[in-house]
Parts: sequence; C-alpha cells; structure tokens
Amino acid sequence: MSAPQFAIVGHPNKGKSSIVATLARDQSVAISPVPGTTLENREYPMRIDDETLYVLVDTPGFQRARAALEWMQAQSASAVHRPDVVRRFVREHRDDPRFDAECKLLTPILAGAGILYVVDGSRPFGGEYEAEMEILRWTGQPSLALINQIGASDYSDQWRKALGQYFRIVRVFNAMTADFDKRIRLLLGFGEISDEWRAPLERAVHILQTEQAQRRALSARVVAETISAMIGHTAQRRLTEGQSTSQALAALRDQYQRELVAMERDSRSEVEHIYDYAHLERHENVVQLLEQDLFAKQTWSLFGLTRKQLIATGGVGGAAAGGVIDLAVAGHSLMLGAGIGALIGGISTWIGADRIAETKVMGLPLGGESISVGPMRNVNFPYVVLGRALLHHRMIEDRTHAYRGPLELNVDPDTLPRFEFEVRKRLEKVFGKLRKQEALAPELLDVLATEIERLMERGEATHAS
Amino acid sequence: MFSGRGYLEKIGGVNAFAPAACCAAMKTTVNRRVMKLKGYNAGMNRFVTLADLIDIHRALDADRSTPLERRKERDRKIGAALQDHKAMPARQLRGWLELVDLPDWKRDGQRGAQLYRWIGASLALAGLVIGWGVASAVLHYTGDAPINVINALAVLILPQVVLLLFWLLAMVPLRLPLLGGLRASLRLLNPGRMARLAAQRFGHAGGQGLGVVWEPDNAVVLAPAARWLFSLWSQLFAFAFNVGVLLAMLYLVSFSDLAFGWSTTLNLDAGSFQRFVQGMAVPWQYWIPEAVPSAHLVEASRYFRLETGAIAIEQAVLLGSWWPFLAASLICYGLLPRLLTLLISWQRFRHHLSSAMPRLPGAPELLARMNSPLVRTAAARPEAVAEVDPNAARSLEHAPVKRTRCTLVAWSGSVDAHSAIQQALSELGIEPQGLLHAGGAHSTAEDETTVEALCRQRDLGVAIVAKAWEPPLLDFLDFLQSVRKRCARGQPVIVLLWGAEVGVTASDAEVWNLTLRRLSDPNLHIEVLP
Repeated sequence: MSAPQFAIVGHPNKGKSSIVATLARDQSVAISPVPGTTLENREYPMRIDDETLYVLVDTPGFQRARAALEWMQAQSASAVHRPDVVRRFVREHRDDPRFDAECKLLTPILAGAGILYVVDGSRPFGGEYEAEMEILRWTGQPSLALINQIGASDYSDQWRKALGQYFRIVRVFNAMTADFDKRIRLLLGFGEISDEWRAPLERAVHILQTEQAQRRALSARVVAETISAMIGHTAQRRLTEGQSTSQALAALRDQYQRELVAMERDSRSEVEHIYDYAHLERHENVVQLLEQDLFAKQTWSLFGLTRKQLIATGGVGGAAAGGVIDLAVAGHSLMLGAGIGALIGGISTWIGADRIAETKVMGLPLGGESISVGPMRNVNFPYVVLGRALLHHRMIEDRTHAYRGPLELNVDPDTLPRFEFEVRKRLEKVFGKLRKQEALAPELLDVLATEIERLMERGEATHAS
Repeated sequence: MFSGRGYLEKIGGVNAFAPAACCAAMKTTVNRRVMKLKGYNAGMNRFVTLADLIDIHRALDADRSTPLERRKERDRKIGAALQDHKAMPARQLRGWLELVDLPDWKRDGQRGAQLYRWIGASLALAGLVIGWGVASAVLHYTGDAPINVINALAVLILPQVVLLLFWLLAMVPLRLPLLGGLRASLRLLNPGRMARLAAQRFGHAGGQGLGVVWEPDNAVVLAPAARWLFSLWSQLFAFAFNVGVLLAMLYLVSFSDLAFGWSTTLNLDAGSFQRFVQGMAVPWQYWIPEAVPSAHLVEASRYFRLETGAIAIEQAVLLGSWWPFLAASLICYGLLPRLLTLLISWQRFRHHLSSAMPRLPGAPELLARMNSPLVRTAAARPEAVAEVDPNAARSLEHAPVKRTRCTLVAWSGSVDAHSAIQQALSELGIEPQGLLHAGGAHSTAEDETTVEALCRQRDLGVAIVAKAWEPPLLDFLDFLQSVRKRCARGQPVIVLLWGAEVGVTASDAEVWNLTLRRLSDPNLHIEVLP
C-alpha cells in the first residue's frame, strides 16, 4: 500500500503554507501575505529512513473556483459522475493558464490524496468559498476542514456551520502557536478521515513522539553539560612584570564573563539544532555575575605547583637522594643524609624557582605569577542558568516552523522558575559536587541530565517558595 | 539506584523503535567504506584506547561545522552498518571513527597518545633504575659485616606495604571524614603527578588533543579515567621499582658473595624473630620451602653470634641462604601486589575510558543519530515562489481620487446597500449612483450582467467595494479587466477596501496594492473606506 497523501487546499492567504511548515517542520516553506506565492504543488514526505509514512502536498490556492465549478456543472448533474467530471476538467484545462491553480491543486486529490481544506477562522465566512468547497465535494475524496486561527477575531462558530455542510470533520488549529501535542492530535485527526490511513498515521505519531522524547533527553544532556562546565569554569592569566593586579583581575573577570556567555550561547544553538532550527535569530540578555560570586586568587606556580608544594617536592627529592646515601652506608650516617638532603632540596628549590619559572620551553613559560577567576561559588548560579535553559527549551519545543520571528528570551531574572524543595535537594547534591569539583564522575552528568529531562517533561519548574 | 548504562542506552537511541526493514535498507545504501568496516570488525573487541578518546573528541569538534542535515543522513548510514554493536556505544563510536570522512580532521590520536606512552616508559625506566640503585645500596656487602636482614626488610618491604595502603586509601572510593584531605595530600606524593603536569603542558602545546583528559570542561566525564591513569603511572613506577630491586638482588647473588645477619637494639629474641619471618613466609611455605628461614639459620645469623673478622666458608654458605627469603618477600609483598594494582589500574582506566567516550560532549547526539531512525518531514526539493517587488505598492497608495460620480459594485457580497457606507463614500468624495453586485456567490453570468449594466453608464466612474481581508484573486482581476476593457476605458475605477468591524489592516491594504499594481492601470485607484 502506498503512503497516504494529504493535499492542503483552500483560498489563497489562509495559512496553507503555515500549516505545512508547522507539520513538516520545514523552515524553507515560503510564507507570504501576497496571494499566489505558492506557484507549484510541493510535497513534504514524512520519511522514516527509506520508508514514507505519509505525504503532505502544499498547493496553490483557488483562483477561479466559480468558473471552474460552472464548467463542471455544465457537464453533468449526476452525483455518480462528478469525480469523473472533475477529472475531465483537469485533463482538458491542464494547459489552460486560466485554470492553472485549480488543475494543480486538484491533481493530487484526483490521484487519491485526502483533502485538508484550510480557512481563516479569524475572518468571516463569505459566499466566495462555496464554489471551492463544492468542487472539493465533487472529487469524492475523504476530507477534513481546518479552521486556522490567524488573527485575534473569532468567527469559528460561523465557519463550523458552513464547513459542516461540506466536511465530516472540522478542526480548529493555529499553525503559529500549536505546540507538539496539538500537532500530534491533528495528525491523528488525518487518520480519522479514512480507515486505511489510520495505521500509518498512528505509526508516524508514535515515531514523532519517540523522537520528541529523544530530543528532550538530548537537550537535557546539553543543558547538563553546559551547567557542569559553567560551574567548574576558571579563567587564568599570567601576570607580566609591572602589571597591576587589579587591572589584570578586572580584565580577567570580563574574560570569564565572556566565556560563560559563549558557553551558554553555544548550548542554546545546540538545543536549537536538536529541534531542527539551524539559524534562529535569538534575543537574550546575558547571564549577570556579581563580583563576589567569583573566587579570584593570585598564585605563583612552577610546573603547576605552588611554591609550598614545590618546596615540599624539592625537600622530598633531596631527602630521597640523601636517603640513598644513608642506605649506602647502612644507616651509619644516622639518617643525616636524608635530613640534609631535604634541607638542601627545599632551599635550592626556593632560590632557583623564580629563575626556572621564567624559563620558556617551546615558547611557554614554565611558571610564574598568575591570577585566576572561578570556579563559580554562588550557590544560586546553576539554578539561574538552569531556569534560563528550561525557558529556552520550552520556547523551542513549542515553537512552530511557521513562526519566523526572532526568539525573545529577554526575561527578568526574578521571573525565572523556582524549584520545588525536593527537586532543589536532588539538584543541589550534584551542584555541590560540581562546585567543589570533587567526586566527579560521568554518572553525575547522567543524573543531572535525567533530573533536567524530568523538569522539561513537566513543562516548567514548578513554583515554590 | 540510578543506572548510567540504562541512561546511555536511552539517550543513544538503543531502545528506540527500530524497524528492522529500515536498517536492512540503510545497509544496502551505505557507502563504499563499508568494505573497510568489514576488516575493522575483526578488531572491534579491543579496548577503547586513549588514542580513540582523543580521536573522537577532536572529530566531534571538527564535525560541528558540518550541516546538521548532512550529519543526520551520514550518521544514520554509518549507524545502520554498525547495528551489531548497538548495545556497545563505545564500540559504535570507534566504528564511526573508522567510517566517517571529515574535512580538516584525520585520525592522529595515536601521535597524541605516544606522549603518554613515553611518560609511562620513562616512569618504568626511572622505577627500574631507582629500584636497582636502592637494592644495590641496601645489599651492599664488603665482606666485613653481613647485611642486616631487618634493615633490608625495613627499606625494601615495609615502605611498599605502607605505600600500598596509601594507594588503597587514595583509590578506593570510601567516604570517610578527613579522607578527602589525606587523599589530596597523597596525590602530591604520587610520581604520576609530574607525568600529568608534563602531559598537560606539552599536550596543549602539541595541539594533538592530549589535553582532552585534563580539560576542565571534560572534568566531570573524564575525572575517573584521569585518576586511574594517574594510578596506572604510579603503579607502573612501583612495579618497575620492584623489578629493579629483584634484578639487582639476583645480579648481586649471582656475581658476588652476600652474607646476611640480623641485628636490632630492640628486645627481640631469636624465637620471636623466627616466628616473625615464618609468619611472613606463610604464603609460600608450601611451594618454596627453601625460602622459609629455619630456626637454625635465624639462631646462627644473629650478629653477636657471628665471629668477628672474615666469615668461615661453612658459615658464609649458611648466611647467604637468607636471599631466597628476601627475594620471595619482595615478590610476595612488593612485586605481586604491584602487579595486581597495575592490572587493576589498567583495567579501571580502560573501563572509565569506555564509559567516558560515549559521554563526551556531542557523543550522545552522535549515538542518537546513528541508532534512531532518520525522521525527515521537510520537502525534498526547493520551492518555486512568485517574485514580488515590495516597492510595487507605492505608486497606487498615493494616487488621489478626484471628486467623482460612480456606479457602486459590491464584490462578493461586501455590502448590501450603499447607505451602509454612505458616510465613508462622502469623505472620499465619491457620489454613488446605484449599487450592482458581482463575485462571491454570484455566477460569472451575473458578473457579465453587471458589466453590461456598467457599460450603459459610460459617463460614470466605477467604484468596487471589496472585502479587504480577502485577497484579490484572479477571479476579481478578470472582472476588473473586463470592466476596464469593455466600458470604462478612460474612466476612473476605484477599488474601495472595506474592513467590516475590525477595519482595514495595513497588511491587507498592502496585499491589495501589490496585486493591483501588476495591472499597470494609471486610472485604477485604491482607497480604504474609513
């Protein structure tokens, strides 16, 4: 059995392409207020690997429906012959530019496609629609009417009455704002118009739901990775001779902030990619950091060892060398060798360290004075980052491909979701470890990602005091 | 209890619906590199190596610039060829490395991992030399005084046992108070530390991805692997140290004449010392009885029992027989435990590498792309759209209407009577002279009648009232052109946009302007009814 096809038909400018863009998750669909933008039928197959489950066909809108219907009515009055008359109309007018749109939109229907007739529920019903609906009825194909709620006004009752006379199923659907569940319900609705289409559509829905769950899990993973990296992130800078520490620290804090912002921005893009939004314009205020949130320190190091550690290492080295001498003389030196060795090792390390630290190997200094900022010690920081990420995810998950505006994420930090006590407790277990950078293990990320996924599934972090 | 494995399977799409037909179909389309994979499958059972980790990390980084759609298609094909390894994400990732072809990336993880091998080799060599040196010092015998067995045990065995306990403290994940601090300080003593610092420093400079193990962003995923790598290095050093000690001992035993005695200031009689050494020898007493010191040997080799000066030949033979015990002690308490800790470290390091690999940033997404069906809903070909000039509306928008008398036409039932829009018409300077109907529910024949009626009033202009929210269709344009051609050749034709209760929106007006502009009619006007 071939995959069911659904022709999206209707008056121009009533949102046919928006519905297709939303259901096909295709940002390349041209959506324009100018009638006649869609010139040709365009197919949007839903494919699972190499198997096609259903095909949506976007069509040009009716342009001369009255004239077309009059031609058909002049051919036959018998209901039995009406589909044949429509077929003859298409055959005879295929090369007639006057009925180009009508022939194109009727072709997939005559080939067996189901009809999805789209109207704008925010505008009143008019007599000009009757010819279109009558032609579609003449085709004899299973059909469904969609009231697309484009504007604020609501004439859906009026439309239901009119559409009910021509279509067995009438649904209301807003292509711009329909969330995933509404899209799924609509697809299941397509299956209701013909029994033989039910199974493939149910399968398609199951696959889309599984894919959605996986997208959520992957997004949660990306958010968990980002939060973990942001908490543990540090920025370090080597102090050059005569450089003011305060100036260097201010520059380093700026750098640290920029790096955190970049990490968050990259994470947003990754989540958007997961949901097939490759080039989304996004407006978002950057995460704000307070000076006291950042742990800044100034250290001297050589080979990454602090001066204390270095002296201890030198001492241990000296003691080891002295110990060998002690052993060689079978302990007759009363372990003086080790003691003296430790002292010499420690002192020589102290004296020589600065000079060694300045030495460069392969262009890199071995050590010296440096300042570092981070990791983040503000306990609320991960919750702020998580709140922002959850909000972004929800907007992406609910966004449709018909909506072409930028993603507005400029939110007041005070309005970010708070987390229930139990959720916060579970999260804090992970955040605490990340903050202290101890007991780190990959499973920590799994736990955090699972927790975030739960929050995503619930739609938002619930509010609690 | 949280199961990390279950999580990975879930996120990597292992449990996702997997129609068998799809995978078979994908396998037939997978590219020519599958032939290479067949050869590769034979080696799939090997452990994940550091080189693999470096390669996957760098490949995932390089792959970020590949368009998402291409990545999806490519990875699904590769995934279909690797379905047999679906439950083993690390293996699948290694398979992906074999099959993927990325610009600006090549598999040079081996080069990076080479430094780690050098570090390991250096530590092993250092252990060997130090072990040899220490053993040579401890077993130094000039013929004057025998080597003190207690001293040898204290230097060669006791520190090893203590360090082994330290290792256990550092590596076993016990959660005890104060243990964290102790562990931190123990890490400072670990010979692996300097190796790590060298790897850190030269890894970045080499640009070969060596830093992957130590990068702070990967800390959560790779911390356990890094810890065990650390342990692997230190145990390698310790194992080599024991080998060095044993080799030195065997050398000295073979090429010199060693004599042992025992002496201590502590109040330790021969019986107690014998019980002590026999206790130590319990593990091997049945296998190597000659390595268990006898009561006679213990009694005879006590320092104060020995004759001063040169040792007699019989006595020298007896005193030399301590060495099997020392060698067995070294093997039992030094070499074998270190071999065990080395193997444990090696196994744990491999395990954590395998566990970390599928959790590296970007890897779960890759696994999902490989293991889940490729769902495509977008159009397969680009769309043909009508070109619209956005500036086209301007010329009509500002065309003023002169005060004129017009016949009013209600298009598509826009108005029932001109009284409804009388006020608006007056404001526009239009004086209506009767109302005709066309379009909508009317037939084209009725349109024709309306056109004929208009033709009879050639001295009047034509004002067509249209619903602004309905776009102008070709049906409307046909009527407009018919009116123009047949009756109102030079007369103004005014399209009056009516917005009912909500009024005419700017976008509706723009749609009408853009469409009517295409007619290029200088006497065609468009007005919005107030």
